[in-house]
Amino acid sequence: MSTRVLGHNVPKKDAATKVRGSRKFPQDFDMEDQIYAKVVWSEHPHARVRKVDTSRAEALPGVVRVLTAKDVPVNEYGIIIQDQPVLVGVGDKVRWLGDRIAIVVAESEKVAEEARRLVEVEYDQLPVVSDPREAMKPDAPLVHEERGESNVFRHIKIRKGDLEKGFAQADVVVESYYVTPYVEHVYMQPDAGIGYIDEEGRVTVISSAQWPDHDQRQIAPMLDLPQEQIREIVPAIGGAFGGREDMHIQHLLALCAFCVRRPVKMVFDRAEVMTRTGKRHPWYVKYRTGARNDGTLTAVDIEIVSDSGAYASTTVPVLEAGTSFAAGPYVVPNAKVDAYAVYTNNAVTMAMRGFGTTQSAFIYEMQMSKLADALGMDPVELRMKNLFRDGSIALTGHEMPQGVGIREALKQVALAAGWREEDGHWVRPALGRPSAPHKRLGIAVACGLKNVGYSFGSDDKSTVGVQLTLDEAGQIARVTVLSGACDVGMGVQTLLAQIAAEALGVEYDQVRVSLVDTAKVPDSGSCSASRMAWISGNALVQACQEALQKRDQVLLAESGETFVEAEFEFHGRTVYETTPFDADTGLCVPHFAYGYAAHIALVEVDIETGETEVLKFWAAQDVGKSVNPAMIDGQSAGGVHMGVGYALTEEYIQQEGVPKTRYLADYYIPTVMDMPHEFRSVTVEVPDPTGPYGAKGIGEMTTLPTAPAILSAIHDAVGVWIDQFPATAERVWWAMQGKK
Amino acid sequence: MPTLSMILNGRDVSVEVDPGDLLVHVLRDKLGLIGTKVACGEGECGACTVLVDGITVTSCIYPALKAQGREVITIEGLAEGGQLHPIQQAFVDVTAPQCGYCIPGMILSAKALLDQNPHPARDEIKEGISGNICRCTGYYQIVEAIELAAQRMAEEGGAE
Amino acid sequence: MWDDYLFPQSVEEALEMLQAHGGKARIIAGGTDLALQCQRGRNPARVMVDITHIPGLERIEERDGSIYIGARVTHAQVAASPLIRSRAAVLAQACGSVGGPQIRNVGTLVGNVVNALPAADGAIGLFALDAEAEVAERTGRRWTPIADLYAGVGRCTVDSCQAMITQLRFRGLDDGDGSAFERLAKRKALILPILNTGVALWTDDGAVRQARIAIGPVATTPFVATEAAQSLVGRAPGDAEVAEAARLAAETAQPRYSLLRGSAEYRKNMVEVLVRRALTRAVALVSGEEGGNADS
Repeated sequence: MSTRVLGHNVPKKDAATKVRGSRKFPQDFDMEDQIYAKVVWSEHPHARVRKVDTSRAEALPGVVRVLTAKDVPVNEYGIIIQDQPVLVGVGDKVRWLGDRIAIVVAESEKVAEEARRLVEVEYDQLPVVSDPREAMKPDAPLVHEERGESNVFRHIKIRKGDLEKGFAQADVVVESYYVTPYVEHVYMQPDAGIGYIDEEGRVTVISSAQWPDHDQRQIAPMLDLPQEQIREIVPAIGGAFGGREDMHIQHLLALCAFCVRRPVKMVFDRAEVMTRTGKRHPWYVKYRTGARNDGTLTAVDIEIVSDSGAYASTTVPVLEAGTSFAAGPYVVPNAKVDAYAVYTNNAVTMAMRGFGTTQSAFIYEMQMSKLADALGMDPVELRMKNLFRDGSIALTGHEMPQGVGIREALKQVALAAGWREEDGHWVRPALGRPSAPHKRLGIAVACGLKNVGYSFGSDDKSTVGVQLTLDEAGQIARVTVLSGACDVGMGVQTLLAQIAAEALGVEYDQVRVSLVDTAKVPDSGSCSASRMAWISGNALVQACQEALQKRDQVLLAESGETFVEAEFEFHGRTVYETTPFDADTGLCVPHFAYGYAAHIALVEVDIETGETEVLKFWAAQDVGKSVNPAMIDGQSAGGVHMGVGYALTEEYIQQEGVPKTRYLADYYIPTVMDMPHEFRSVTVEVPDPTGPYGAKGIGEMTTLPTAPAILSAIHDAVGVWIDQFPATAERVWWAMQGKK
Repeated sequence: MPTLSMILNGRDVSVEVDPGDLLVHVLRDKLGLIGTKVACGEGECGACTVLVDGITVTSCIYPALKAQGREVITIEGLAEGGQLHPIQQAFVDVTAPQCGYCIPGMILSAKALLDQNPHPARDEIKEGISGNICRCTGYYQIVEAIELAAQRMAEEGGAE
Repeated sequence: MWDDYLFPQSVEEALEMLQAHGGKARIIAGGTDLALQCQRGRNPARVMVDITHIPGLERIEERDGSIYIGARVTHAQVAASPLIRSRAAVLAQACGSVGGPQIRNVGTLVGNVVNALPAADGAIGLFALDAEAEVAERTGRRWTPIADLYAGVGRCTVDSCQAMITQLRFRGLDDGDGSAFERLAKRKALILPILNTGVALWTDDGAVRQARIAIGPVATTPFVATEAAQSLVGRAPGDAEVAEAARLAAETAQPRYSLLRGSAEYRKNMVEVLVRRALTRAVALVSGEEGGNADS
């Protein structure tokens, strides 16, 4: 489909203010009469609070108030399950080091900092459970004894076909045990904001967030107020990557404002973000794959143990999403999958780019790479033998809807990296010589797929509004898009402006997108699940069509009216109905839209040190419709950056519930010097007939295949599989010693 | 309280500071220049980068009084009135900023680089921003923007 | 954080200021380590005596057969100095690998030594060159070998509340000599090393007259592999000699398990690899294979 505004690069709506430094992030705001808050954090990963003495803190000059559990009207919250205390009171338990005991509010940040050290807390320590596999055992200490008799709080089962028969048909079986690591989001802007009472008496929070309307829905019951009495304003977000889907600070700011009735500012330092906020789920996975000699997959048998940390957060949907894709974009007729969500006293694990599908992509792609190796088959060829097409039956027994672009993505990335199709077979490129005698080259491919939007029968929806200002001739002079879509950096506001311009037949520069303020814009849902383009885009297209109809009516009526507005609430289920996992078979229609990616990595491994360098990287993403090529390339590169870190350098280490990774100096995300020397992003467009102008989504699929591509390339180079990663130099070195 | 006097973005500025103040907090909290960002507070990421006498420093661990008598440039000092500096314009044109939090620091590192070396090779550009961490972009478009800025500035007849 | 921030205009004035504050004042140069330590409550000093305005401490120069580096000189200046690059390449490379550009612009080489961490890159370069430091106290000034400055992890024998280091000196390398620095780290910038090594070979007619091999962090202080270095003396080193020296270095270095840096066995093996690579590069310079003394 050819489009006028979409598919072209335009200056991002927020770019000028960001290069000037004038765009205000939450910590850049100050209000008159403001005071400052600091959190008193738990000192133990598992303990009962015996005593809280705030007297010394309260006596410090400049301290306004010390809030404790008794100041919270309803002291529980949670993004899905309300299993979290806002502040832990005497007699209650802290379950990880990110639990909070108190909040000190003072006239200056300095006094607040000093005062929080003066709050004295006594604990009765409890046994710590820090390995989810241990936590599953019947005699393990319980993290939430009030919720049941086991730390396992969700078990997802898939039973498809006949597993025994499937393995009997297999000529080759690959069996592995994988451990995927914790990851820290490292959004560059630390959590911060101001809570205050606005001119209409609403408890108002200025902060960065991904889901402001859901924050409202959690804060309101916590303060025992109606939802309309809570307001959240999101001025700019310095990165999120899923890490702001749960509230880290918004509810605390709301509580402060509610109790103190003055503007209260709070800024987390990096160590607080690093050690007291959520992480990506580690998974412990047993994976057995069977295939015929010709490469056709016959069966998979998978067990996943997911460490939920101290609270549920989004562990269940993450596990559900990941489990629904546990066999990847491949046709597998016989499958048994068991996935467990387990409480521990480790860091709370939460949404992070990929939402379970990143961990899945690692496990299914490493299995495919191992299979290709075992069969002596080209890795692209093996995948092509099994990849989905439109209508293929997926793991959960449903037909893949139209728009399956994975074959096209794989084909394009393979050709870009030098693969050839010869006599119906895929042939890998020759690699040339390594840069030194102690180095080895390796190349490998990996695929990934991700759902777009919310799944398993949930009513995913987005409401977007549009306002038209007409000139005297009745032509559209200016457009304002009203949306709750939070721009975490990917450019959703630019995207919506382009879609509006396209749909209304105006110029991009005539469109502005409103600030996200829950009091003034509709609920567009969460900025997550790569959903904004598809669902808010669809809502916006409909709203624009309605607005145009209203404009036409205005013109017909010759009323002289110059302002028209329309709003549309778009439901994902109107396009495609999804269903939850069947309790016994796990069969379901999990998702309504998908995005696909395929990556290839060329690496060079130092056989003496184990160091891996990524020389070249090709990333293909099927986005359905390219809305803004430069923004897509940026998302692609950003996803690869996270994947390179996941694969090679990022380790978040905890021991017995205590993080050893405490400062940014301890956690190594790739610098510019660590990125692939050459990078090529390939955008594939296999339209999704249900997406706006055929668009899918992109935010997450760009990071899924990266790590398995790199780790498979390491095997291609030096013949070792790394099943517990990151593949640090030392891990690779030990693996090579094991081979000798 | 001691007085810090510096030439800030081309103007003489004097401000009272605490002896223990770090430069980033004086800029942000006492002088209202919020373009310089705090991302780590450890000198580990470069988001707080400013120029002192033309060289880059991480202002979050730089004692404010070290800037006594020196020329300090923050991101606010680059644009001339309404007109973006060529480096800023290049970042916009290449669509480099995503969340934008690392960008002021990146731009100042780019400026220091191009002031020293107006025709840098790609490796030299990467070296020049090796102390600036970004989590959104993967750095490629940032490097592209700096290459474009260098090219344009050379065409205009030299760095500003 | 601090009660006062002072700029003495001479070394004498700096020492007077230290004395006047009776142990509560200390020397600060770039402050890239110190500011953070104070902020985190790990250093009790309340008054900073900033030496970066003192004339005379900013020089890198050759005098009387030795190369001198003043206390104000930053890592960036060392790394960029034509004199250091040609006459002490190991040090230029070492300083060039510290942190990132912003840290190198402000942090000083002398400060790196005073911070006394065994992983400090600049210090490893100085150990390779068998450098000395001039310590200035109320009683006068004295030169001391760099190894004598290290009392343990993070502990310098010079008490920065009472004394200061004013300059470093070492004998540079000449044509026909060779030096090199190697580093192993978990990413390529903004990171402390898992392991680093600096080697220097002084020669007469192609035969090694003196050799130094410095390794960090494998002990509580920078480690000098004396036996390994000694094994090279008296010969024109080839691959076999280099391999033997590297083996000896690995044998004598005793790294222990570290959560941050890795297992003892891996680190020991990497000592052999890095020392062999550094010596190979230094030897190539000795035999003129890399065309002169320019740093790699």
